[in-house]
Amino acid sequence: MSDYKQQVSRRQFLNYTLTGVGGFMAAGMLASPLRMAIDPVLQPSRSGDLANVGLAEEDITTEPQRVEWKVEQVDGWYESEVTKSAWVFKNDKGEIVALSPVCKHLGCMVSWEGSEKYPNEFFCPCHDGRYYKDGTNVPGTPPPEPLDVFEQKVENGMLFLGKAHPRKGA
Amino acid sequence: MKWKKADVEKYVQAKEYIDTILLPLIPFQFSQDKDIELVASQNDLLHIFASEIEKELAGRVMLLPSYHYISSAAKSEEYLRLNSWIQETEKQPFEHAILLTFDASWKKYEKEITGNLIWLPMIQSESFDSKQIKGLIKNQVEQICEMIRAYWQ
Ligand code: FES
Repeated sequence: MSDYKQQVSRRQFLNYTLTGVGGFMAAGMLASPLRMAIDPVLQPSRSGDLANVGLAEEDITTEPQRVEWKVEQVDGWYESEVTKSAWVFKNDKGEIVALSPVCKHLGCMVSWEGSEKYPNEFFCPCHDGRYYKDGTNVPGTPPPEPLDVFEQKVENGMLFLGKAHPRKGA
Repeated sequence: MKWKKADVEKYVQAKEYIDTILLPLIPFQFSQDKDIELVASQNDLLHIFASEIEKELAGRVMLLPSYHYISSAAKSEEYLRLNSWIQETEKQPFEHAILLTFDASWKKYEKEITGNLIWLPMIQSESFDSKQIKGLIKNQVEQICEMIRAYWQ
């Protein structure tokens, strides 16, 4: 088991060094901070409809972090693996909140504190849509309703997320 | 948004918000055996870039069907045809045209082209699925999105 793991990472490492010869891209990667918390150690595993997103409960803080995971999806003619993502944090009551990053206006990806002008909010770069930390849309900005909320559970200390559902508007 | 029915339905209802087109410039060629794979893998990678960018900025950007051309075709003629594509989009209230390419030879015509050319360095790799390559692509996508947002300012 651990042998297999090592092999994989060695190959990945090789892959990386080979491609890294292109220097420019590698430099770009090192230079700019990786803002998204991605690529968890664990491969996503399933439990019912909810997927392990590779984030341990204890690593969830009050600061929203972006997680990504993969699910199989059948979309008409195509069956494919799609990447899903969520903003995850603990609210004042210590409850885990997992919000969909898809803006309820026209579907751009929102980011936490995406604009310096609006600290402590989610910001949509497309038409300056804004949401408070709990996902509620800021009145007077384009989004008509709050960010969707993911079904969630914690099992063996790991966070599992399912489908995102709409909430009542502000 | 993409050039498909479901998205275009949304587009016609919300035109005033979608002011940017994204157009991948994709060459193909069969005359040089040694370059066939490279040119094809550019196609793979540019599609990944285009769809990732579209995902981030779906509410303001329309991803068009790719502009295809033969690698060796004279850019002095191609750019005219390219401009006519951009002109066609200007019949709608699109204000920004973002062109994505790995082909540095477009650079020479940057001034004549009526859109913003974003040239990307090619990533050479066996597969674009490894964790590291995905990290690189993600990072590049982030930077390109930032660039597009700068055009919006
Ligand atoms: S898509 Fe987010 S504000 Fe318009």
